[in-house]
Amino acid sequence: MEDQRMDELTHLLREEYNPPPPTPRAEMWEAIQARLNDPGASVVSLDAVRARRTVWVRRSMAWGAAAAAVLVVGFGLGRFTAPTSVAEAPGASQAPDPQVLRLAATDHLERTEALLRMVRADGRTGQLDPAVGSWAESLLTQTRLLLDSTENDDPAMRALLEDLELVLVQIVGVADTRGADGAQAREELTLALKGIEENHVLSRIQAVSPAGSPLAGT
Amino acid sequence: MEQAKGGDEIAFRTLYEANVDRIYRLAYRMVGDEDLARDFTQDTFLRAWERLDQFRGDAAFSTWLHSIAVSVSLNGIRKVDRHRKRERSLEDAVHVAPRQRRLEPDARDRLRGAVDGLPEIYRTVFLMHDLEGFSHGEIAEALGVAEGTSKARLFRARAKLRDALGDAMQEYV
Repeated sequence: MEDQRMDELTHLLREEYNPPPPTPRAEMWEAIQARLNDPGASVVSLDAVRARRTVWVRRSMAWGAAAAAVLVVGFGLGRFTAPTSVAEAPGASQAPDPQVLRLAATDHLERTEALLRMVRADGRTGQLDPAVGSWAESLLTQTRLLLDSTENDDPAMRALLEDLELVLVQIVGVADTRGADGAQAREELTLALKGIEENHVLSRIQAVSPAGSPLAGT
Repeated sequence: MEQAKGGDEIAFRTLYEANVDRIYRLAYRMVGDEDLARDFTQDTFLRAWERLDQFRGDAAFSTWLHSIAVSVSLNGIRKVDRHRKRERSLEDAVHVAPRQRRLEPDARDRLRGAVDGLPEIYRTVFLMHDLEGFSHGEIAEALGVAEGTSKARLFRARAKLRDALGDAMQEYV
């Protein structure tokens, strides 16, 4: 009798206790492959992100300003040093330095991944870190600068940056709802989390960053 | 296996495809969180890749992989224990909603609490054996204990569950 009850309880627990969802085979393999191809790449795990949170936020603000400055200088140099000779192909000298772009894109994607992982984890409790808003704004600015610089160069990277732009706009929107009623904040948060999941931005970042970045070699 | 050991990524992909379901299911059962289960699964395969040259073939590859998965998951859970105990996330709620549930939320919480309250060594064996269908031989290999130890731990896990649930058990079954 007791054994039979235990069997039934076990059967019930199979259905009720952490029933596994379908295995995200392809998504996990993409992430594994990205790391296999770049053993030196830092692993942005949730735990590590949390442990480094304070440092990340501080650094990201500083890096955001620096990377934006690098991009702006890159554009500026390209424009101001571009020869005006009509014999030269139009726009050929105005392209930003590929090295600058590569550096900025790689760093940008790593920091954006860290932010998204943090938002996804924190979002579940409905309590975002207060620094998320300004961090997301900083990343949004850089995303737009990178979008301007990758015009038609790389469709995959461009599509990723466009999706990141939308997601970051949503995260900034969540941060803006502070002080608003809980329902509105939750709705914004749900939309932002959906944006992260439905666009598969995390796996796409891992697939292209850093060694596999489509910007590499441009 | 030899090809994978030689660094052949396609061969390793084959090993991944053959084993990933069981590893992910186990990780998810243990942690109850999609993101962490993914992280643990990915870490398991990356560690396996790094240590393939240490795999001597004494046991099945899957058994060796399970031992890595259990180690990665238990260490991960200890580090982020508060995540395991937090309320189910919005995403999870969306995910599980369509499933047929036999229990009311209160009763489910009590059941979860009883399993969560098991000491780690008992809970691991219970989840592996009773919920994921691992044999005592597989569990023993994965945990580095004797088969008898695995059986004893399962016996104690069940006894503790019965004690924890007490009369309420009649409500469930």
